[in-house]
Amino acid sequence: MKPTLKMVLAGTAMLAMTATAPLAADIAVIGGSNDDAFWNIIKKGIDDATPGVVANGGTVNYLRLQNYDNFAPDVVQLIRTAISQDVDGLVIPNWVPEAEDPAIKDAIAAGITVILMNAGGADKARELGAINYVGSDEYVAGQAGGAYFAKAGKKHVICVNTLPGAANTEARCMGVADGMTAGGGAAQQLPLPTTSFGDPTAVAEAIKATLLKDSTIDGVITISAGDADSAATGIQQSGLATVSLGSFDMNGAGLDRIKGGTQAFAIDQQPYLQSFLAVSLLASAIDFGTSLPTYPVLTGPGIVDASNIDATLAGVTKGAR
Amino acid sequence: MTILSSFGGLLRRPEAGAFLGLSAVLIFFAIFGGVTFLKPSGIASWMNVAANLGVIAIPVGLLMIAGELDISVGAMVPFGAMTVAVISGHFGLSIWLGVAIALSFGVLVGLINGYMVIRTAVPSLIVTLGSLFAVQGIVLGLTVLITKSTSVALATEGPAKTIFGDFFFGGQVQVMVLWWLAITAAYVFFVHFSRFGNWIFAMGGDKVSARNAGIPTERMTILLFVLSSTSAAFVGMCQAILYNSAQVAGGQSFIFNAIISVVVGGVLLTGGFGSIIGIFFGTLTFAIVTQGIYYTDFDRNWSSLIIGVLLLLAVLMNNTFRKMALSYAPKKGVK
Amino acid sequence: MLLSLKGINKSFGPIDVLHDITLDIRAGEVLCLLGDNGAGKSTVIRLLSGVHRPSSGTIEIDGTPVSFRNPRDAAEAGIATVHQFGGTFPLMSIGRSFFVGVEPTKGIGPFKVFDRKRANAIAVQAVQSFGITRITDGDRLVGGLSGGERQALAIARAVHFGARVLILDEPTAALGVKQAAHVLRIVNEAKRRGLAVIFITHQVMHAMAVGDHFAVLIRGGIAADFKKGERTREEITDLMAGGETMADLEAQIEAENA
Repeated sequence: MKPTLKMVLAGTAMLAMTATAPLAADIAVIGGSNDDAFWNIIKKGIDDATPGVVANGGTVNYLRLQNYDNFAPDVVQLIRTAISQDVDGLVIPNWVPEAEDPAIKDAIAAGITVILMNAGGADKARELGAINYVGSDEYVAGQAGGAYFAKAGKKHVICVNTLPGAANTEARCMGVADGMTAGGGAAQQLPLPTTSFGDPTAVAEAIKATLLKDSTIDGVITISAGDADSAATGIQQSGLATVSLGSFDMNGAGLDRIKGGTQAFAIDQQPYLQSFLAVSLLASAIDFGTSLPTYPVLTGPGIVDASNIDATLAGVTKGAR
Repeated sequence: MTILSSFGGLLRRPEAGAFLGLSAVLIFFAIFGGVTFLKPSGIASWMNVAANLGVIAIPVGLLMIAGELDISVGAMVPFGAMTVAVISGHFGLSIWLGVAIALSFGVLVGLINGYMVIRTAVPSLIVTLGSLFAVQGIVLGLTVLITKSTSVALATEGPAKTIFGDFFFGGQVQVMVLWWLAITAAYVFFVHFSRFGNWIFAMGGDKVSARNAGIPTERMTILLFVLSSTSAAFVGMCQAILYNSAQVAGGQSFIFNAIISVVVGGVLLTGGFGSIIGIFFGTLTFAIVTQGIYYTDFDRNWSSLIIGVLLLLAVLMNNTFRKMALSYAPKKGVK
Repeated sequence: MLLSLKGINKSFGPIDVLHDITLDIRAGEVLCLLGDNGAGKSTVIRLLSGVHRPSSGTIEIDGTPVSFRNPRDAAEAGIATVHQFGGTFPLMSIGRSFFVGVEPTKGIGPFKVFDRKRANAIAVQAVQSFGITRITDGDRLVGGLSGGERQALAIARAVHFGARVLILDEPTAALGVKQAAHVLRIVNEAKRRGLAVIFITHQVMHAMAVGDHFAVLIRGGIAADFKKGERTREEITDLMAGGETMADLEAQIEAENA
């Protein structure tokens, strides 16, 4: 996923990395802000991969953005920080290619092995000289959602975008539209103005109004898990029982709805796998010279619905889903 | 001869511009939004949005009338939501305990804000900017520490759900609408009919003179900050109960939405002028403009533009009416 | 003697602002406090209105030494200060601003209601008694009044709430000729009602129109203290200019222009 554009300043001070043991992988992972649920699952993946790295004499350092207010310069600064710390490996999301690419190239020139994670894609990884890309593809994830709706017999789906204009949310909604079209239905985007961002009632009422205005809509998908909470209320308010709900990403309430039958599915990019695999792959490449023929490594889309909800819930309680 | 008895008198009231603005957007969307917009479910749609915003906008507006600003409400909404979700959802304790603690946190932050504003010479914008970030940090840090997640589910049943987070009138209208109407009525009484209201206007006019006139300006300032942060925590708490879930982030849009509603409602940004009914109309106007779009056939990509233009017009109308109120002199007493 | 200052000194840190100020003010008398900018007039006002406390010396009311901890103490002792722009709440109605802090209420218990009608009636009547008959509607906003009307409102308010000493801080400075004359009439009316008025100004003409007693401040000290008719206008102007005669100054300017 992407960093949500919030004016949030929070979090912990970045810890300076000091220990550098020779001949073992010292790895830096750059990630999003603390208050982003997604990046805490990423952290769980890092934490679980770290013992393996440490066992071989290496270290793992998670460098996080404080907030997204000064996004591109801050990301570049973190990359420079990693370079200055003489790390051996770097796991980095390629959020802002124009800003990050020169810094990533400098890192590779300095002898650092790089894996792109979460954002960027296989082509970008090849272009920069990174050894792999671990993550999902927003467009492919959207296609999966559209296909799921189409398979369930839905004809007209709206993709509720509370962050219109952002590349990743647009790609998600475009994927949904193409997935629906391929399955014989249609989908369009519902962009919401910033005045409703973070106000569940405003989002819920916007969805309700749209459903009332156009009675052919029979499916709603939201670009985030929190928006799905609002959408569930909006659908219930509209009184239209045939409208089914899907979401990108997931949270506790959404999983409860899937279990209770008021939400059809959630599309998960499985962030735990992204960081766990990226750190493990990178460490073994540095320490043992391994290389994975699978390129890119896609961790999503994973669809969570009634069929696998119980196992997913077990993962949630452990902070990995 | 009371001011209410003459049309001219009505036009000079702070809410005159807000009322005309409200009428204008109602007509606009009745024409472009069609029947659905004015059906009960359509009305419920913007009433619900207005209610959640309105409960916060009135105390924020009172602070502005008194010459202060509170932007920490943007953090108090998720704080209230997360507090009740963590206590009653994550820990599974009584919902009433969650409600009580969420509201106490509101009171506590309000006391801190108010105390810092009166004890330091720092403008309240900066003080509450500080508490906005601080509270966001606390919410995030504690939530992740306690629940290892930034989104906490909460299932509520029984009277607490009915009182704080349910729908009525055919499952369309949020209970928050009733809270909003009741709270507005209470504010109208205290601000426009009791002597406390006079104190708030005097504080906004000139704080030093107000203090010299014997008004307990410090206690009033603290009280107003407590009202605004507690109201925001209340709205957050009710939303968590209604949507069965609370997120760490979100709520920031309430800062600007509340300030816009207050200004559209005829309150002067620099203080000393405004009315509760005006804020009420302003909030309604804002909600109608933002929600009305969905009943029209306009391309959704233009909604921010339409919102901006309509609100700007409403504010311009206010300025005109305020000038009328100031330059008004009876008979031929023109200077 | 209604109000006396006895040997007042005031310093802020190492800076002496006032030294050895001794003044007497009687009821029904206008004391004009004259002085150039920075002579210490404002500091005298702040001492009398309870904003500052003297470093040494005493303030007496009716012969009893008093000490004001804050402006409220001074107000309770009957000393009211009216500033240059009069009413300070431009966006409040006349009735409401008149009763700020002492609102009349009707009703019982927690439902006491501000009595707007009564407040408006009293306020309008009080202002009219000072000759401002144009004010008839207590719902008008103070900001819509003329400068002179605002001064009248502020003075009427002070008198209504039992002020015995009225301090007028440059009330005519920002006004045109007609408005200033208006204010001077109000000052006379206040005097007629037995108030002691301290009239601060640097406009000698205005001072001579209403003053009974004059004190000229120069660099924090009293340079002259005299009764009405004891000095001419030119002498007072020269005193205020710090001893240099106005004629000398004019000559200097002419020389520079030549």
